[in-house]
Amino acid sequence: MEYKQKNDNALVDMIDIHKYFGSVQVLRGIDFHVDRQEIVGLLGDNGAGKSTLIKVLTGFHSLTRGQIFFDDQAVNIHSPHDARELGIETVHQDLALVPLMSIARNFWLGQEPTYEVGPFRFLDKKMMASESIQALADVGIHIRDSEETVGTMSGGERQSIAIGRAVYFGKKLLILDEPTSALSVGETQKVLDYTIAAKEKGMSVIFITHNIRHVYEVADRFTIIERGHKLGDFYKSEVSENEVADMIVTGQIPERLRLYEEEEGGD
Amino acid sequence: MMQAYFEGKREASNIGMLVAGLIFGFAILGFLIAYGVAFGWVPLGERIDILRSDLNTIETIVTVVSLIYSACCLRTAYGLYSREQASLRWSQWMLFVTVMIGGAILLSVAIPVGLKFSLLLGQHSDLRTVIAADAGGLASMALSIGEALISICLFVIALVALLALLVFLIPPLESLRDRPGTRLIVSPPRKFIQAILAVLSVGVVCFLVAGAAVVPEFPGQTTIRDAENHRLLAGLLFFLPAFFAYRVVRQVEEQSDELRRALALTPGKYIRANLAKSPSAGAIIGFIAILMGFTMATDLFLEPSSVASFLSNVATKGVIAIGVTYLMISGEFDLSVGSILGVTALSFMNFMTHGAPVFGVVGPVSAALLAIFIAFILGAINGVLLISTRIPSFIVTLGTMLAFRAITLVAIAGGRILRYSDHHESLPVIGISNIVFLVLAVIGIGVVAFTAYRVLPALYRGASQAWSIRRDNGDFGTSGAIVRGAVFALILAILLAIVIWLVAVLSYHGSASGGQIVEVGYFDLFNGRVLQIGSEGDFFHMQIPRNANVRLAIVWWFIFVAIFHVVLTSTSFGNSIFATGGNEGAARAQGVNVDRVKLQNFVIVALLTGIAAIYETARNPGVDPLKGTGWELEVIAMTVIGGALLTGGYGSVVGSLLGALIFGMLQTGLVLVGIESRLFSGTIGVIIIAAVVLNTLVRGGQRN
Repeated sequence: MEYKQKNDNALVDMIDIHKYFGSVQVLRGIDFHVDRQEIVGLLGDNGAGKSTLIKVLTGFHSLTRGQIFFDDQAVNIHSPHDARELGIETVHQDLALVPLMSIARNFWLGQEPTYEVGPFRFLDKKMMASESIQALADVGIHIRDSEETVGTMSGGERQSIAIGRAVYFGKKLLILDEPTSALSVGETQKVLDYTIAAKEKGMSVIFITHNIRHVYEVADRFTIIERGHKLGDFYKSEVSENEVADMIVTGQIPERLRLYEEEEGGD
Repeated sequence: MMQAYFEGKREASNIGMLVAGLIFGFAILGFLIAYGVAFGWVPLGERIDILRSDLNTIETIVTVVSLIYSACCLRTAYGLYSREQASLRWSQWMLFVTVMIGGAILLSVAIPVGLKFSLLLGQHSDLRTVIAADAGGLASMALSIGEALISICLFVIALVALLALLVFLIPPLESLRDRPGTRLIVSPPRKFIQAILAVLSVGVVCFLVAGAAVVPEFPGQTTIRDAENHRLLAGLLFFLPAFFAYRVVRQVEEQSDELRRALALTPGKYIRANLAKSPSAGAIIGFIAILMGFTMATDLFLEPSSVASFLSNVATKGVIAIGVTYLMISGEFDLSVGSILGVTALSFMNFMTHGAPVFGVVGPVSAALLAIFIAFILGAINGVLLISTRIPSFIVTLGTMLAFRAITLVAIAGGRILRYSDHHESLPVIGISNIVFLVLAVIGIGVVAFTAYRVLPALYRGASQAWSIRRDNGDFGTSGAIVRGAVFALILAILLAIVIWLVAVLSYHGSASGGQIVEVGYFDLFNGRVLQIGSEGDFFHMQIPRNANVRLAIVWWFIFVAIFHVVLTSTSFGNSIFATGGNEGAARAQGVNVDRVKLQNFVIVALLTGIAAIYETARNPGVDPLKGTGWELEVIAMTVIGGALLTGGYGSVVGSLLGALIFGMLQTGLVLVGIESRLFSGTIGVIIIAAVVLNTLVRGGQRN
């Protein structure tokens, strides 16, 4: 089947995405797009398919049917490495850092800077240390010692480092998968600051959560997913925080917005 | 007090001067010891005859260390005398080292006495009456008191442990739980533990006193010489004053902010913090303890020939342990290395005697390469099975362990041994031209000279700068430069020694054969006795018997350790190994190809096992069907002692080296001490658990 890009100026345009695990249909024809320099809140209750959608985009799962356009190009993303090559950085909920490794090594994992001695390549440890401290400081994360192991740090500190790393390496798109679910109020606020910092750097952000309160402040647009279908896209100007929260829980679009949605779909 | 001293107040000068004088005294003492040992006044261990030219290994080490120690003490005393703030830190370190030296000397008297006495007590049931008759009432009283105290303590400890276990086992009865007695048993207060320890040590001292009195009385057991009693005096002279001075200097912390900052990192804390960073803390502590223990317990332990034999015994297993460490860090492990070793050894031998499938009967080098290729295939089978089926590696390699073993069992019919000598009349020999040795020696000299020229000046500058900075602020971070300089100098010295050895080989064979061609056995090149390739062994007046079992595999082993250590710690491949074992999901999310890393590691293990198999076969050119059985667990034991976590993500190659060394030292040392070698596996069992517990304790809350 041939697919055409629907949103011309979008950074990411995912069209008619289907994902089946055996007979279980997790995603059933979702259209999802992210514009340039936009923060999208991807919302939905637990099990709605948010994480699966993102794992399709980042190459963890291959899609069953559908097409992804990135930067106006049709792309096939087969591995996390492919996604990274495109400029997509992801902070996963559960698998962000290696606890027994130092901050610097975690920071550079998978793309370590090296110098060459003859045919051999060695890690540039000095640069790894100084650059990671500097890069984290740029987004407002101050660490004492880049040789400290991540296992000794608190959940908030770890999340900060994972996000700082993603902001540093991310070229075009930053995906945050439930970044605030285990954080205190203060730490959540920090994560929101990093998100804005990423946007100011010129990146787009997908912020996945099931808790609207965490994202309403910073997001430009909300995409709500409900049992493998998309409920709709809503700009922040159109909806209130409570309406979005209701939609996530009930899976129903309120009367007021339904007309608007149909108009949108019409053009 | 000390603060006032550094500010130059007159009334406070006493205590500072006292400490300075004490440290000066230690310097003199260290120098006296070095002098006494070097000139034969104080013999340590066995020596051939009392001439100052033939120091044995222990004496050489003691002399050098004492001189360095003495120099450091002088520097510290001078710093204290001239009222440099930084010298306080120095003096703390020197006092700490002095306490350690004193303790070591005391132990060096106590361990042999205790050991010999216990062995005596075990051997002679009528010893007590003999003691009462010969050594007098005092010794037998000390023995009774010592034994009584020790057994009381052990009894109390056992009782408390048993009661605690019972309290833990029975369901919590409300009335029982709140009783103070229960709490006392479940978590004994500090005072109680200290009291038990104090009584125990008094008992041990009594026991030792009795031993010191009794052991010389026994004909054939009189190895406690006067020298050992002199050592007791020296040990006390070092230990007691340094211990009290260390306590005094530590109390200075309270007096001013500046000093508190300077002293925040006491030697104990410094060592602990640095050990906690190292994956192989337990192995380091264990290595030092076991090395010191055996050195003190028997004079034979540091003899070049016993060191050589224990190194040779573990070198091949040590090579495998490197690979197993890699695999374990990446979160998998391999039970099939023993079988892979058997298959590789069999193939190697078979290719040389019966012929390889395509090539026919081949020479040793081609046979070795083909055999290692077979090991590569076996490792790849392990890896592919693991990543394609996703079965735990325990199951996969348990299966392949049994399956690969079948190959040797089928290939070599019942109970036979495939021997090289059954098919060939003599061992394979290669003729090497003298020129090759000459060229190697010239290249070696070139490398040494070039490295020295490039590296040493910078290192010297760094070290001297650090030395001068230290005078001002006592910052111990600068000591890295000095250590680096020393280590590089040492490496250069070793390289130089190899070059000298090459030249010696050249001159020896040049004169022996008279011609141009030197004949060297192929097997000797793989894993021969180094000193038999070379000339008469006489290194810097240290007598090394020529038949000492220094195998070439030891050299290969150390080279492999160096290479694999660098790869693990300083390349992106090493980084991805740690990540794969530490958090597979995170590694995958960051674009690390986890499956490839695991496959690579299985292949690395198999290749190293193949190389080890060549060493084994070269050392003893015969293969039986059960070759390598049981090696897998021994190698895993070495790796675990070395600090690798079974769960992955943590470990080091140097740790595996230390683990293998501990293994070898125990194997040789237990025999030399006179303890039955049947106790070996029991000891290793205890050591494994102790090492892992130590690793966990030292690492503290870091693991997560």
